[in-house]
Amino acid sequence: MVVVRLMNVTKVFRTGVVGVKDINLTVNHKEFMALLGPSGSGKSTTLYLIAGIYRPSSGKIFFDDRDVTNLPPKDRNIGLVFQNWALYPHMRVYDNIAFPLRIKKLPENEIRKKVLETAKMLRIEKLLNRYPWQLSGGQQQRVAIARALVKEPDVLLLDEPLSNLDAQLRISVRAELKRLQKKLGITTIYVTHDQAEALAMADRIAVINNGRIIQIGTPEQVYTKPATVFVGGFLGNPPMNFIEGEIVEEKGKLYIVIAGQKIFAPAHYEPIIRRGGWRKVVVGFRPEDTMILPECRDRNECVKGRVYAVEPMGREYIVVADLGGELVKAIVPRTLVLTDDQEICLCPSLEKIVLFDPKTEKSLEVLAAEKE
Amino acid sequence: MSAGLRDIELRSRKTEILIVVTVLVFSIPLILGYSLLILSSFSKEMVTNLNPRDFIPTLRNWILFFEGRTAVFGGIRVNIWHIVLNTLIVALGVSFLVTLVGSMTGYAVSRLRFSGRKKFMALLMLLHAFPGSVMVVGIYFLYLMFLPSYQMVRLYSFFFVIVARASLEIPMATWLMKGFFDMIPWEVEWAALVDGASRLRVWRKIILPMVKPGVAAVMLFGFLAGWMDIIYVRTFLVDQTLATWIESNINAEYSYLPLVAAAGTFYLLPTIIFFLLAQRLIFTISATGVKG
Repeated sequence: MVVVRLMNVTKVFRTGVVGVKDINLTVNHKEFMALLGPSGSGKSTTLYLIAGIYRPSSGKIFFDDRDVTNLPPKDRNIGLVFQNWALYPHMRVYDNIAFPLRIKKLPENEIRKKVLETAKMLRIEKLLNRYPWQLSGGQQQRVAIARALVKEPDVLLLDEPLSNLDAQLRISVRAELKRLQKKLGITTIYVTHDQAEALAMADRIAVINNGRIIQIGTPEQVYTKPATVFVGGFLGNPPMNFIEGEIVEEKGKLYIVIAGQKIFAPAHYEPIIRRGGWRKVVVGFRPEDTMILPECRDRNECVKGRVYAVEPMGREYIVVADLGGELVKAIVPRTLVLTDDQEICLCPSLEKIVLFDPKTEKSLEVLAAEKE
Repeated sequence: MSAGLRDIELRSRKTEILIVVTVLVFSIPLILGYSLLILSSFSKEMVTNLNPRDFIPTLRNWILFFEGRTAVFGGIRVNIWHIVLNTLIVALGVSFLVTLVGSMTGYAVSRLRFSGRKKFMALLMLLHAFPGSVMVVGIYFLYLMFLPSYQMVRLYSFFFVIVARASLEIPMATWLMKGFFDMIPWEVEWAALVDGASRLRVWRKIILPMVKPGVAAVMLFGFLAGWMDIIYVRTFLVDQTLATWIESNINAEYSYLPLVAAAGTFYLLPTIIFFLLAQRLIFTISATGVKG
């Protein structure tokens, strides 16, 4: 099967708009790679470059060792599923799925076999005689996937295939799609703006913003060790909290001052802070890694705040706390009873804190690694 | 699918009746004119004076018409089926050419981002605004410029009528088709390309079936334009079509008007039939077809 490699790929559109800039990406054999980013970030452009619908302005694209940079889409053996599914409205479902095979001029009985097989796999075998407009959104989406899979592509490209489905369905299809990909073992690239989708399905996630790849890593890595403030703020629901802090040293020990209160600098950051001589930082911590206590016992691990609002979410509560004028969120168990304006103590788990440079918005680890 | 849906229910029953009545009043002259024509074609005298005593039922007008007689007395006869055939050749020719060129330019204008595209579209609109009669002389000179002699224009007269008449219809057809192509999402075309189809195949198997209503409409309008044309047929065609034949018989000394009324009714038939059959289609077009 196929390894997809993009090397220094840049796409500038004729209008002068920069689609993507200097993209380097390797998608391994059988891997499920999610391209995650806000709308207009260049993730779909990247996908269309891989599909051959757009041609890169510079850079090269390889499928294994084959340079496909200038190959038309039909010579790349890819399956592509569009956000609006792009079914052929004048053809029945059967003919929609059979279309790629008919182009290949396969004998009709073989086409029949393959279409039925694929339809069975996606559980749409009962719909083969219908027209697309007679199907529900979820069914249309299955047809689109079937059409992409029937030609046994080397690479499966999915452009926000779930975003036109309602929320309930999206979640149930998510698991199904993930399982299908693993079963078929097709190298898959999945474009989405939904961080939950990316985290749930992908083997690795490439976070894209402003036409550049910001971070590539496993869902775990991207979630817990965001490379920039953007990544931390884009992933997670609610996303990571950010608050400005200042580094001070007392008696050989490093502290971060947040909202006028001292907490220990995380141990693993100490060498980085010392080497880089950092003074001002942005402190990032996730709501679920933050404990709330009714009262602070001064141990330099927590900061005092005030309850701004409580949002009951069913499974847990989200507490919005006012921390010296900045709002931060924490997820707490339902058992905790809090009232508005109550004084509370926020304790971010120190080993899970991520520190960023306020100027470049990159994490201190990334900057330290760049220096070496 | 949306059969159960209706317009928002704001209009009262009264206003609705009022609207229907107004529409009826305004269409009275139209309905009256056509009814009188049709009645006259079955009468010995013209009934256009609105005098009921003029109506003396007979089928003679129609019989004479199909015999190709131009007058009740005298021996002038033409082969009417030959004239109908001529009219059909012109109408079908225009229809074919308008559809072919209109759908292709419409696709180009809708899909390709070439420079001067906007100006081209505006120019087409402008062209459509010119009445055809203004251009007859110009077109004649244009033909002469590219042909060695005047005789050639006579020789290929059908060709020249069709090309000239079609070129008048093509701007509108282009706009109409553009509207239809605009409604097809790019993704559908891309999907077919990714599926391995060639450009031509995408056009034929995917795009064209999706704009079928548009093609049908353009074909229809083209046909009617050719069927109805009189100026270009008179200028370029050596043979007669129904339009020129009727026209030449109205003013003739020997003209017998009830017979001309029969011819006129016959001449109206395709228009009436098409509009009855294509009502739905026309509505779709006026609602969605032509848009910038």
